[in-house]
Amino acid sequence: MAEDIADILIIGAGASSAAAAWSLADTRMRIICLEQGDWMNPSEYPSNSKQWEVLRQVDYNQSPNIRKRETDYPINEEDSAVSIANFNGVGGGTILYSAHFPRLKPSDFRVKSMDGVADDWPIDYKTLDPYFAQNDRNMGVSGLAGDPAIPWHEPPLPPIPIGRMGEAMGRGLNKLGWHWWPSDAAIISEDYEGRGKCLNLGPCNSGCAQGAKSSVDVAYWPVNQRLGVELRTRCRVSQILVDDNDMATGVLYFDENGVEHLQRAEIVIMACNGVGTPRLLLNSPSAGFPDGLANRSGLVGKNLMFHPIGFVEGYLDQPLDSHLGPQGTCILSQEFYETDPARDFVRGYSLQIVRGQPPASIAVSGTQRGDIPWGARHHEAYQKYVGRSVMMAVMCEDLPELCNTVTLDPELTDSNGIPAPKITYRFSENSKRMLQHGLQKGTEAMEAAGAFKVYTMNQVRDTGWHLMGTARMGTDPENSVVNEWGRSHDVKNLFIIDGSIFVTCGAVNPTTTIQALALYVADSIKKNLANLFD
Amino acid sequence: MADLIASDALLTEEQNQTLRLLLNMIIPPDAERGMPGAAELDFMGYVFEFANDRIEHIKRELDSLNKSSRRQYTVTFPQLDDNDREALVKRLYSTRRQFARNIEVQIMFCYYQDDKVLKALGKEARPPFPKGNEVLRGDLSLLDPVRQRPKLYRE
Repeated sequence: MAEDIADILIIGAGASSAAAAWSLADTRMRIICLEQGDWMNPSEYPSNSKQWEVLRQVDYNQSPNIRKRETDYPINEEDSAVSIANFNGVGGGTILYSAHFPRLKPSDFRVKSMDGVADDWPIDYKTLDPYFAQNDRNMGVSGLAGDPAIPWHEPPLPPIPIGRMGEAMGRGLNKLGWHWWPSDAAIISEDYEGRGKCLNLGPCNSGCAQGAKSSVDVAYWPVNQRLGVELRTRCRVSQILVDDNDMATGVLYFDENGVEHLQRAEIVIMACNGVGTPRLLLNSPSAGFPDGLANRSGLVGKNLMFHPIGFVEGYLDQPLDSHLGPQGTCILSQEFYETDPARDFVRGYSLQIVRGQPPASIAVSGTQRGDIPWGARHHEAYQKYVGRSVMMAVMCEDLPELCNTVTLDPELTDSNGIPAPKITYRFSENSKRMLQHGLQKGTEAMEAAGAFKVYTMNQVRDTGWHLMGTARMGTDPENSVVNEWGRSHDVKNLFIIDGSIFVTCGAVNPTTTIQALALYVADSIKKNLANLFD
Repeated sequence: MADLIASDALLTEEQNQTLRLLLNMIIPPDAERGMPGAAELDFMGYVFEFANDRIEHIKRELDSLNKSSRRQYTVTFPQLDDNDREALVKRLYSTRRQFARNIEVQIMFCYYQDDKVLKALGKEARPPFPKGNEVLRGDLSLLDPVRQRPKLYRE
């Protein structure tokens, strides 16, 4: 019986995997994707229930340490100032993401040249531009062309509604003369490719019951499967195998019954996110790679970047219905995005104005802050706050530092005995100063919009949404893990396409850039097929 | 019905009486606004279904309240008159940061997702899906001053 060998094996079925599989499908090669989670059932998402505000707190929590699904792995975060968010399932992190879809900017790829910090990417914005556009069409992205803060691009669908809240904040930002623009969102504002348009359910971040949020289980995978890509769920990869010639030969994985299997492959592509990818590489040592696979640079798991995040919450003295509409997106200001030498930090941040807190959450935070008292005045005070909350995230650029790491925990394991990742992370002084500036400017914006009360939250812990930098790309094998098109310097048939390969991270949600990179790497594989392993 | 029986049995009689009194002190009824008091809701049924891991915390908070009542007044919380109950809760609320924190959080989630309450607030008691919500598209002419700015990004 012939040995079962995949032409291409992709590990993980999230954002980058879906995009790469779509692109590679036209090679007609045999592509297998192994995913440790399940297919999601949208009828189980919290927004099908009246109690959605509470139902999202555990089963759909962003933290695997709280969620504790069978398909999750634990993460040791004791030495980290930020806790990790992820999701394991077909769709990966896009199941719970906000679908906020701003692109990195040209300067984000040239940080060293322009600002003298970190490193330049080996590619530039123009290289990725056609892949951004292709991915926008594949995903279904809504937005408005003409934003002066980003090179011209035209999202395929009109912007999602900004609502009364977006208008109120836009007026406030106009008073200050600051930039703002409706957010690009991977949420379809009109019926698109057989999917129904956004119904403004609200809680995008616990899964979209309508399927209007472009998580890749609805936007990419059904197409990929029709194109012949084989997707296997409940397959948890424990190790990537290599031969004596430093070539990957396949992977070991556990099925849902805990039975171990070998899957051979000619090409292995890792798409496990900025924590899962270094975890798996470090857990794949061999004689040729005693410190972890593809780790001769010693940089696997180093330079972990999040986006340091603080929040400004304002309450406006007018009914806004601010809890309605896609929860994680509305408008954003990039007035303070680019480096300004007059400031006491380099690089910059976005002010992301998202929607307000929903009704029960308003009551909880209001009572805890003392704004909504116990007793006779409770009802009157509640009316003053509900529907009038505006949340603003100050999303800062992080800079790569060797001390921020993903390593293997010596004791903690997942249910298959695979070592859990251990996160070591602290905020840099640059990030602290940037956040402080952002919180002050965010407060000014709220006051300009007429807020009667403003709260700031600094260095918020539960914001490890964006996992980047732990297997960076570059042209120098001494200083990077993969080359300028995602191929490992050390293992010529091993590719990485997730956020691990970011050199720097800009100050915006990374998913659109991750997917553009995945399409670019996939295209590079196709263009270099004749001498792919040279 | 099975849930109702199970949730009724979660608390002792003393805890139950204490809880009902405390809940209406947190969110009292407001006839003028048509708002029910929190004690009118099946709070423990809600906790049993949606916040099972909080049950022991809630019991401890109720016992702690009764302990404070006995220490200060020699009787349990339900045995106090309205003024003493008010004074005791006021003192504990201002001196103990975590006083009744689990009860407070859970009753807010319970109350503001309850059909009766939502109707009294003029809201439809329904899940977000499938009907969804109307959101104003927004006046994008507000962007005119932004459109007139030169490019803000560096090449």
